[in-house]
Amino acid sequence: MITHSADIVIVGSGITAALMAASLAEKTTKSILVIEAGKATTPFAERVRARERWKAYGESPWKQDHLDDQNATGTTWGFSPSMHVGGLAMHWGGVSPRYSPEDFRLRSMYGVGSDWPFSYDDLDPFYQEAEERMGVAGEQGPVALDPRGKPYPLPPLPINYNLAQLQQWATKAGIATWSTPSAKNSVAQDGRGQCQRCDTCYPICPTGAKYSPDFTWDALIARKRITLVTETLVRKLEADPKTGRITRATGNRTTASGEEVTIEGGTFVLAAGFVWSPHLLLLSKSSAFPNGLANRSGLVGKYLAGHRNVNAYLRLPMELFPGINVQHSLVSKQFMRVPRSSRYLRHDLRIWESSVGREPRLRADDGAIQFGDALMQDWQQRAKGATARVRGYYDVLPDKNSALTLDATKTNRFGDPMPNVSFKDAPESAALKEWQEEQLRELFRTMAKAGGGEILRMENSANDLGQEHPVGGCRMGTDPMQSVVDAQGRAHDHENLWVAGAPAQPTASCCNGTLTFVAVGLRTAAAIAGDTERAGAPVRGQS
Amino acid sequence: MTTRRSFLKTAGTITAGAAALSTATGACAVKDPPANNAAVPDTGAERVRGFDRTILDAVATAVLPSALGGPAIRTATDAFVAWADGYEPVAEEMHGYGYAEVRYLPADPSPAWRAQLTALDLLARKHGTEGFATLPMAQRQELLRAVLRDQRGDRLPAPLDANHIAIALLAHWSAGPDAWDTALGARVSPGICRTLGDATRKPLPVTVEPRA
Repeated sequence: MITHSADIVIVGSGITAALMAASLAEKTTKSILVIEAGKATTPFAERVRARERWKAYGESPWKQDHLDDQNATGTTWGFSPSMHVGGLAMHWGGVSPRYSPEDFRLRSMYGVGSDWPFSYDDLDPFYQEAEERMGVAGEQGPVALDPRGKPYPLPPLPINYNLAQLQQWATKAGIATWSTPSAKNSVAQDGRGQCQRCDTCYPICPTGAKYSPDFTWDALIARKRITLVTETLVRKLEADPKTGRITRATGNRTTASGEEVTIEGGTFVLAAGFVWSPHLLLLSKSSAFPNGLANRSGLVGKYLAGHRNVNAYLRLPMELFPGINVQHSLVSKQFMRVPRSSRYLRHDLRIWESSVGREPRLRADDGAIQFGDALMQDWQQRAKGATARVRGYYDVLPDKNSALTLDATKTNRFGDPMPNVSFKDAPESAALKEWQEEQLRELFRTMAKAGGGEILRMENSANDLGQEHPVGGCRMGTDPMQSVVDAQGRAHDHENLWVAGAPAQPTASCCNGTLTFVAVGLRTAAAIAGDTERAGAPVRGQS
Repeated sequence: MTTRRSFLKTAGTITAGAAALSTATGACAVKDPPANNAAVPDTGAERVRGFDRTILDAVATAVLPSALGGPAIRTATDAFVAWADGYEPVAEEMHGYGYAEVRYLPADPSPAWRAQLTALDLLARKHGTEGFATLPMAQRQELLRAVLRDQRGDRLPAPLDANHIAIALLAHWSAGPDAWDTALGARVSPGICRTLGDATRKPLPVTVEPRA
């Protein structure tokens, strides 16, 4: 039996956990223990080679990044089996937009979905903290569309030659666009170099210009400010039946030995994402808590939320050079900040350069196979002109039964049932879906026309596979019977249990979510720091 | 007697047949030493590496643009051989977002590709020539067109997905930054890490500033 002990125990080591740990390490003197089921993946020194092999063969650049028997089934779009130090943010794209103020007041403003228990303005300082800790490079958009309390910490990634042409076209179409905020170094900072537009941000940045959580963990470990325990799967939290306080976590090593592990702590933080956080709560059944922990409302695992998209490729009469910086884009929040109308639709808009339709081909227009100089001449003709890619994520409101459940037919090596994930639209979203997607298609047609171009093709996201940038499963709220955690992320039922980031969110907006997951987590970290310092909880030694 | 028409018809069937051949193909001599790719750990599994370079070069000159020039075609072919030799079968694919199961890359395509080179040579010899590499360019291309007649044509596949070595070679070359720059007529260098600040400039024409 292995025993660990600390004042603050964080379960999970992804991006929310890392930046919360960094915040807690500054705001408290308490000992911090981080428990990760996986191990460290590809070291920084090996990422150039890992990138090369990914480009050459499609090989995963992230070695040993999952546990074979720890996975989810169901509609898992937006989910990844990645389970390693740093979590999914080791391979994220770094795109870091904020939600808009409307996201926090959907019920009040539009009569749909749920209001959050706090406002955009309440979250603004934590957005700023998240942006500063990651190093987000961003351009201030029009203030009415892109409100923020302070400037971005880093200057924006440049509007490159291609994007400058596309921006002119978007302006002609009546759409305000700006450089997409990204957690990539537009200038060297924090010991990491400037972005070199290698264009493999997703899945791997070879230079370290893109923020990933390993940098934070390395720094915290070097400062001896946290203890990171890897290859340890937390399988159960135990609570005092009388007080509800979490007394300890138990689990096993995920090494061959499979030794039992006990973790004692004063404060427990679940920062294991929208799947593994509710999963652990549901696994933590006992006679006193027969439905699992924090589940008086019966809502643990419920209200999984995300968004879907419509994507289009447009041929435009301009000259672009695909490959200047494919992963960087223009963004607009113009359609996120809309007045109430008879039918609800909010979406973001991104614009990229694209090589679609401009690639080499084996057959000429007459169907004849072409080789050599003929193939190149054909390619040179096709390469002229421009293709733009446009995409809008649109808001999907979750049904209560958009849910994660335990599947007893699929168990890990320890016999724990694995999660099954099933997304479901709220009735108002289901009723609007076809109309919303047609509105996006019509927007793209209008944009093409404004530029004198044409649609090459349009497609919807894979609707039956789940939703993107998913959240939920431990939704926050003020009513303990309608939510799992309060506005700070503290479990209604357990005073020393907190759920951080994505799983606590009631909705997922219509843009990339990671920055908001982290900001919500940092808000929780501030509350934990205040709580533990006020309580003067005994400082536990780390082991 | 084999007519030209029946010869080309036979060629088409050889594409599919060759793809099914295994590493046991004895007719495929390994003439080049394996590329030194230290990036690939030796897993202990016996792998026959390398291609009949004479035939491969003959394929390369038939499918790659002659405007590249002999040295560049040789370089592109060398890069293809090194790429094929560096492949690690059944390595894990990137599992990002979109599906939960862990997926694996396919089996090594090189044995089938080697057999296809052998088949091209045998086919040429059935015509009474001294082999594929000795055919005049026009006949090599004609034979390859017949062999590839069922290939889709709207775009080239990823090299690993190519079901014929001629397509794999073409796809590997065309995915590279030099090929794209040639097609675009500009120094874009897609996929190459480079200075951020230069991104705002219109790329220079290919003729002005060769990449170092």
